[in-house]
Amino acid sequence: MENRKKTFVEDIERTLYDIRNEDRSAYKSQAGLTEAVVRDISARKHDPEWMLERRLESLKVYNSLRLPTWGPDLSELNIEEIVTYVQPDAKMAGRWEDVPEDIKSTFDRLGIPEAEKVSLAGVGAQYDSEVVYHSIQDSLIQQGVVYTDMETALREYEPIVKEHFMRLVPPKDHKFAALHGAVWSGGSFVYVPEGVHVDIPLQSYFRLNAAGAGQFEHTLIILEKNSSLHFIEGCSAPKYNVTNLHAGCVELFVGEGARLRYSTIENWSRNMMNLNTKRALVEKDGIIEWVSGSFGSHVSMLYPCSILHGEHARCEFTGVTFASKGQNLDTGASVIHAAPYTSANISTRTISKAGGKATYRSAVKVTPNAHHAKCSVNCESLMLDDISRSDTLPVMDIQGDEADIGHEATIGRISEEAVFYLMSRGISEEEARAMIVRGFVEPIAKELPLEYAVEMNNLINIELEGTMG
Amino acid sequence: MAEKIYSEIPMRTWRWLGVNEARVADAVLAQDIDDVQSLSVAAGESRELTVVYRQEGQGRIDVKVAEGGSLKLTVVQLLPTDKRHASQVAVELARGARLEAVAVEVGAARSVSKMEVLLQGDESRADVHVLYFGNEARQLDMNYVLVQEGRQTEANLNVYGALLGQADKIFRGTLDFRHGSKGSKGYEKEQVMVLSGKVRNRSVPLMLSGEDAVEGHHAVSIGKMDENKLFYLMSRGLDMAEARRLVVEAAFNPVLDRIGDEELYGELDDYIKERLADE
Repeated sequence: MENRKKTFVEDIERTLYDIRNEDRSAYKSQAGLTEAVVRDISARKHDPEWMLERRLESLKVYNSLRLPTWGPDLSELNIEEIVTYVQPDAKMAGRWEDVPEDIKSTFDRLGIPEAEKVSLAGVGAQYDSEVVYHSIQDSLIQQGVVYTDMETALREYEPIVKEHFMRLVPPKDHKFAALHGAVWSGGSFVYVPEGVHVDIPLQSYFRLNAAGAGQFEHTLIILEKNSSLHFIEGCSAPKYNVTNLHAGCVELFVGEGARLRYSTIENWSRNMMNLNTKRALVEKDGIIEWVSGSFGSHVSMLYPCSILHGEHARCEFTGVTFASKGQNLDTGASVIHAAPYTSANISTRTISKAGGKATYRSAVKVTPNAHHAKCSVNCESLMLDDISRSDTLPVMDIQGDEADIGHEATIGRISEEAVFYLMSRGISEEEARAMIVRGFVEPIAKELPLEYAVEMNNLINIELEGTMG
Repeated sequence: MAEKIYSEIPMRTWRWLGVNEARVADAVLAQDIDDVQSLSVAAGESRELTVVYRQEGQGRIDVKVAEGGSLKLTVVQLLPTDKRHASQVAVELARGARLEAVAVEVGAARSVSKMEVLLQGDESRADVHVLYFGNEARQLDMNYVLVQEGRQTEANLNVYGALLGQADKIFRGTLDFRHGSKGSKGYEKEQVMVLSGKVRNRSVPLMLSGEDAVEGHHAVSIGKMDENKLFYLMSRGLDMAEARRLVVEAAFNPVLDRIGDEELYGELDDYIKERLADE
C-alpha cells in the first residue's frame, strides 16, 4: 500500500525558514517592559529628546490599556518574558560582502540578494531589532527618492519623521500600538517626490532570529502628489519553543493622485504572536493597493486599514490566509470612506486545515459626508477538514443615503464533484485537490510579485502534503 | 439610567463599531408584557402563533418543536413611536421539525430584539423572514442567531429593511454551523434601502463554522432606492412620493405577504404608508 504522507508529516517542513543562527547579539535589553528598558533602547539608538518623550508617553498608554476583549486568546503572551531589543553584532552595510557571514547566508537562503539583482530597485534587510543592509539604485537617488532605515531617517529627515511618525496609528489606538511606540526599532523609511514613478519594487525583509524576542519595526512611506511605488514586505523567523512577538507598525501616506501597492507575504514561525498594525491615508484620486498573504505565526491579528480621505480615493485589498495546525489567524481589512466618491474593493480567501482557525474580520465605515461612496466586499472560505474552524465577521457602518455597499461571503469545502471530474481526466486525488486549492487562491496569487507567487504556491504544496493522506 | 446587556453577537469585534452588544434600560425589563409565552409543538403537529406587541416593556417567547412538527410564528412590534421595547424569541427544532418565522419591526422609539433558533435535530429547517422599518429618530437593534447542530439542516434568513429620517439601526445575523452539522446549508441575505441622508445603518452578517461539509452563504446590499424604478413609475404618471411608496411596498412584500392575518396585514400596510407619506 502506498505510504500516506500524513503519517509522516507531524509538523510542516519549513527547513528554509527554520534554520537558526547562533545568537551572537551585541546587546540585548532586559526581558520585560519597564521605563528603564525604554530609556535604555532610546539611549542606545541616540533618539532625539522628542522621540524619548513619545516612547515614555507610549509606555504610559501601554500600561493603562487592557488586552483586546475580542479576537484570539493572547493569554500565552507574557511581556515580562519578551526581550524587546536585540542588537545584532553587525553594523548597517551598503554591500552584502560587509554583512557578517551567518546573517548574509540567512538572507541568501531567503533569496533576497538574488532578487535584488534581478527584480528590485532597493532592498532593506532587518535582523532582529536592527537593519543590517540597505541599498537603493542610484537612478532613484538622483530623482530624489529616499529609501533608508528608520534610524537614519530620524537623523537625516527628522522634521518629516516627527510630523508623520505614529500619526496614523497613535499609541492610544490599542495596547500593541502603544507597545510599539515605546520600544520600536528598525524598519524602513521611503519618500517618493512629486511626479516620480518608482517602476521597480523596493523590498524590506524582516528576520527575527533570537528566541523569546520581539520585533517592532516601523515602516513609514510617504508618496507625494502623482507619484507611484510598489513596496514589498517579507518576514520570517525560525521556530522556537518560546513565544516570540511581532508588533510592527506600517504608516502609509498616499498623496493626491499617487498610487502605492503594498505587498506582504508573512511567514512567521509557529511560535510567533503577530500583532501588527498597518494603516494608509489616501488623498484625492490616490490609490492604495494591499496584497497580503498570511501563512505563518501561531496567532495573528492583522487588519490593514485604509482611510480614504480625499475625493475619488480608492482602495483595493486582496488577501489570502492559510491557517493550519496550531494556528489562529485572525485577519481582514478595514476601510473608512471619509470623502465623497471614494471606492473600495476587498477580496479575500481563507483556508483552514488540521485544526487551524481562520477568521476573516472587516469593517467598512462610510462617514456622513462621503456621498457616492462605493464598496464591494467578497470573502470566500475553504475548509479542508472537520476539525478546523472558519469564521467570518464583517461589519458595515454606513451613514448617508448615497452609498452603494455590497458584501458577499461563502463557506464550504472542496467540491467532491470537481475532484471526481479531475480524477476522471487521469489526475490523482492529491493533485486534483491541490489544483482546486491553487485555483481558489489564484485571484490572490496573480496579484503577487512573481517570486512571491511561487513562494505562496510552494507553501501551499507544503501545507497540503500534510492533509491528503 | 441603569441598563443591562440584553443581547450579544456570538463573536465580538472592534468596540469602536458599537455592535458587540445591545443594552436595555432596567425600566423596560421590569415590565413584562405577559408571562413568557411558552409553546411546545408535539411531534408531527402543525401550529401557528402570532404575537403583536403594542405596549412598552419586554416580551419573551419560548418554543420547542418536536420531531416532524412545524410552527408558523409571527411576531410584530407595533408600539407607539415614543415607547421602548425589548423582546426575545428562542426556538428549538427537533429532527425534521420546521419553523417559518415572520418578524416585523416597525414601531417604538427604541427597540431591541433577539431571536435564537437552534436547529438541533437532523433535517430540521428554519425559514426566517424579517422586515424592519425605521423613521424619525427611532433606534432599532436586532440580533438573529441561527445555530445548525443537526445533520442536513437548512437555515434561511431573509431580511428586508427601509430607513428614513434619522433612524439608527443595527442588524446582526449569524449562521453558526456547529461541528457535526454535516450536509447543512445556510443562507442569509439583508437588503437595506436607505431613504434619507441622515440615517445610520449597521449590518453585521456573521458566519461561523466548525464543520467543513456545509454550504454557507451570506450577502448584504445597502443602497438608496433604485432610480430606474422610480423613473419608470414616474413616467407612468405617479408623483415622487407615490413612486417611493410603491417601491418600498414592493420590497417589503416578500415578508408582508406571509402574514396570514388580513387585519394585521392591513394595519402594517397602512402604518408604513402613513410613515412614508409623512417624510
